[in-house]
Amino acid sequence: MKTFINTLFLLLITAASAISAKTIEMDVNGLVCAFCAQGIEKTLKGFDATAEVFVSLENRIVAVALKEGAELTDEELTKAITDSGYAVVAIRRSDVPLQVIRDRVTREADDE
Amino acid sequence: MKILFPGLGALALALSAAPVAAKPIAFARGSTVMAEYGAGTMNEVQAFYAPRYWWSAGAGWTELMSEDGALERDIVYVRGNLLAKRWNLPGAQANIFVWGGLGRATGSDFAGSTLARSAGFQVDYETRRVYSAFRTDLQESDYFSHRIDTLQLGIAPYEHDYDTLATWIVLQGRHYTNGLYDGIETALLLRLFKGGTWVEVGATTDGKLQAMAMFNF
Repeated sequence: MKTFINTLFLLLITAASAISAKTIEMDVNGLVCAFCAQGIEKTLKGFDATAEVFVSLENRIVAVALKEGAELTDEELTKAITDSGYAVVAIRRSDVPLQVIRDRVTREADDE
Repeated sequence: MKILFPGLGALALALSAAPVAAKPIAFARGSTVMAEYGAGTMNEVQAFYAPRYWWSAGAGWTELMSEDGALERDIVYVRGNLLAKRWNLPGAQANIFVWGGLGRATGSDFAGSTLARSAGFQVDYETRRVYSAFRTDLQESDYFSHRIDTLQLGIAPYEHDYDTLATWIVLQGRHYTNGLYDGIETALLLRLFKGGTWVEVGATTDGKLQAMAMFNF
């Protein structure tokens, strides 16, 4: 019984984390031209749930900061990237602010 | 940013007398306007809208002039562009575009106007460091037929990112048929773009200047 409750608790915590994820980071293929990749930002900013979008060609990532309490499903994000003409490789969700991702990308660029 | 050729600075620019091979479709729900001055051989203005990332439609005006000034064509047209195939790779992208259109043309060697037909395709491959594209454009009517084949090879002195200025040095070779230009026209271009603005300035080995500006919004 105790194991069941602990497992249920862990599942609820995991689900809560996913729901409350502040930032979604996506690995995207084909990101080589900023002029052409504007369509990604334009499409993602069209979602009511989107607070901010960050694109890095160097790291081949597109990151979305969500508004408080808002959510975007993997299907919605994949369709947005695909409808922009690019390919999603992976999607990761976290509680870190978008600025943390920007800083990480900048550090990685400076280290090269 | 990694600098490949530190201090490259200003370049000797060569003229390109025909449209440079930017992608004919920029992005979904995007509009593109382009104007090009190709001293002596070709001038063009175009406007396109892309409802989806894989097709766009619009209109344009093209002026063709032969090297010796004997031939001139003025063509107003509507055109559709299609992304036939794209490969999205880690750190690279390759595309095949095709297009076709209809319009009206006037010319220095025939009276009145005539139905004009155009068709073409482009294949390209690029990374953030190298760019390559081959394009062919056919402009024809009952009174003329010109095919313009263009090969572009570009290199970036540094790899641009999404919010930085992109700089490219592009070497271009172009071949025209049926009296517009004899031989292969070679040009060196400087390409700059940031956000929705793209500009190119260059000169051919004949020493004629060309400029092109394109805007996406």
